[in-house]
Amino acid sequence: MSGGPWRLADADPMREPSPPAVAYAAPDGTLTLFNDYSDGVSRLFRGPPSGPARDPVELWNARRERRGPARLGPDEPVEGYGVFTFPYGPISMGVPESGRFDVRTYGERVLALVPVGGFKARGILDSLVGRSVPDAVLRVERLAGHLSAAHTSAFLGACESAAGRSIPETELWVRALAQELQRIYNHVHVIARIAEAASQNVGLAQTHALGEEVLRLTGSLFGHRWAFGALAAGSPLRRLERSDRERAAATLARLLEEFESLWALFLESRTFIDRIQGTGPIDRDAATRWGAVGPALRATGVPWDDRLRQPVAPYTDLYLELPKEVDGDALSRVVVRAEEVRASFLLLEQMLERWPHDPSVEHAPWPAVASGRGLSRVEAPSGDLVYDVTLEEGRVRRAAMRTPSQANWPLFALGLRGGVFTDFHFALESFGLSFAETDG
Amino acid sequence: MTSWLGQSWRRGLLTTAYPAEPASAEEVPESARPPRPGSGMVVPAEAVAGCPVGALGPSSIDDGTCIRCSRCLAHGLRFSGPVEASTSSRPALVRSIPTATTGVEGNAPMSRFGRSLHVFMVDVGSCNACNLEVLSLANPFYDMTRLGIFFTNSPRHADVLLVVGVPTAEMVEPLRRAYEALPAPKAVLAVGVCPTSGGIFVGNSGLPGPLAQIVPVDVFVPGCPPTPLGVLDGLLRLVGRARAPEGG
Ligand code: SF4
Ligand code: SF4
Repeated sequence: MSGGPWRLADADPMREPSPPAVAYAAPDGTLTLFNDYSDGVSRLFRGPPSGPARDPVELWNARRERRGPARLGPDEPVEGYGVFTFPYGPISMGVPESGRFDVRTYGERVLALVPVGGFKARGILDSLVGRSVPDAVLRVERLAGHLSAAHTSAFLGACESAAGRSIPETELWVRALAQELQRIYNHVHVIARIAEAASQNVGLAQTHALGEEVLRLTGSLFGHRWAFGALAAGSPLRRLERSDRERAAATLARLLEEFESLWALFLESRTFIDRIQGTGPIDRDAATRWGAVGPALRATGVPWDDRLRQPVAPYTDLYLELPKEVDGDALSRVVVRAEEVRASFLLLEQMLERWPHDPSVEHAPWPAVASGRGLSRVEAPSGDLVYDVTLEEGRVRRAAMRTPSQANWPLFALGLRGGVFTDFHFALESFGLSFAETDG
Repeated sequence: MTSWLGQSWRRGLLTTAYPAEPASAEEVPESARPPRPGSGMVVPAEAVAGCPVGALGPSSIDDGTCIRCSRCLAHGLRFSGPVEASTSSRPALVRSIPTATTGVEGNAPMSRFGRSLHVFMVDVGSCNACNLEVLSLANPFYDMTRLGIFFTNSPRHADVLLVVGVPTAEMVEPLRRAYEALPAPKAVLAVGVCPTSGGIFVGNSGLPGPLAQIVPVDVFVPGCPPTPLGVLDGLLRLVGRARAPEGG
């Protein structure tokens, strides 16, 4: 927990190690780095020029065709006297999602852990094929509902770049508004889950209450607490009048104050801090080698954030300051999230003040027969989210994604190595991982 | 400690009066209510054709499939149905239009349980929004313990298996095992259109079908996701304490 904030000016790509993994082989053969789970082992590929020119879309297709459980982390065998594998899940106590964790242990220490996904595979990416963009959006929104704004924005961004559709400015602002609200919700939720695991019950109730208020605000602005149906062009639910924006700004100012006083109390709480300090550590070297993204990466001292590195409107015009942490443990990840909550409140305040006046946005149509391939990256709450979409005659021909959870599972597994099982929930929550957005 | 208590005192006034009072506008955004045509209105053919999940017919609307996408709002329907839309039978979720605006069928309460309910949640393939709305019931705004409803970490201590998500092939067996682990009398609550009908995922390859084909379901809660009050309505229906439907 140290250091001042990073500004865009400090984030010099030339001085930083490789950017986080991207599930994309750029046509010009520039640096490509992605996690490949296609043969059941997580390995990092460095695409052309040195490595094999493999198309990540093909990799994910290969993975999807196999179906069944998928091992999401490094899987070297650990042997020794009394060592056994303890399968935890797919219905596990205290984990609100379905997935399994294969824990290698001799009773106390976690010698190795492999997250196993695939239990929530709903075949969503496959189901997009042949559909129009608006119909595909209904499914992308429901891939990971708590991350719908990020997924929908990234998917739409890829479609727009494929179709060469120019996006009315207000649509981008609406997407950013929904994304920052969801970022606050997700970060606050992580803090709440850790408070719960630490039996910090009063803090838990109030943190949950804060999350509820963010959902209510989202509901009042978009007609839906998770902003489903609000980001696609022409949605009847997303008209934001001046009075809506003023009301939202007042609510947000109050919520920021509540967050500040809650967070100050958490920082004073020894039970809270003790459980996460030094827990599930990963160092900067492992983070960059394995392609960590998001708060997990930024907690190791690497200032990569798509909102700063590859900003699109409105982020190009907004002031954003990112926290700097270097210890790489659960505490650093949680501190990064808490500081990002503050940063998101500030972004929202700026957006609501400077909302673009653009009455033409309501029904910017889709080019009916657009074809092409497009890529889009969005900084989701847990990190860099990539969609790669090919359109043919206005319909999805194929779609691939690389989600923050897919990128970060191996890091969680590495961080827990050598720890004790009671670290499990604290480490898991601090990474903000989701099986829903892993399995698709 | 003093400061935590100070905070919690400020929070004490938040808890909803539901179900003693009807749901407030803050608690239920537009999409928390199922869409309904205006009275005397005929559902236009474009609305029927434009519904992405086939929930709309010329004279019926299937709450158990509707994902609240809002497309039919462009054709004159409104999110005006009741918050209390859960039912104890799947067919009863298909409302026929002439009666759709007047009330809810399939309300028969069950009285297998006493005054308290222990709930075990199983995710069989959700997007997480449903999980989070269910867990919201524990926050101070809803505080379900005041109604004698508690989450439990083990199916062996549960009265109710609360299921979220569309069943995936991989989850059929774990789901059956969880169901068998519940002691009798037991009930199953399907939360959201995913377990009820498959929702937006109907037709995706490899999905084994709706929840009721795997385990018997006692109450269905429509919505994508339902709001916390929608989930609460389903839980209260299980114990015969649901509110009479309000609104359109
Ligand atoms: S809201 Fe959407 S899913 Fe529901 S009936 Fe209307 S068009 Fe169909
Ligand atoms: S019903 Fe809707 S919100 Fe609930 S899990 Fe399914 S897609 Fe998600």
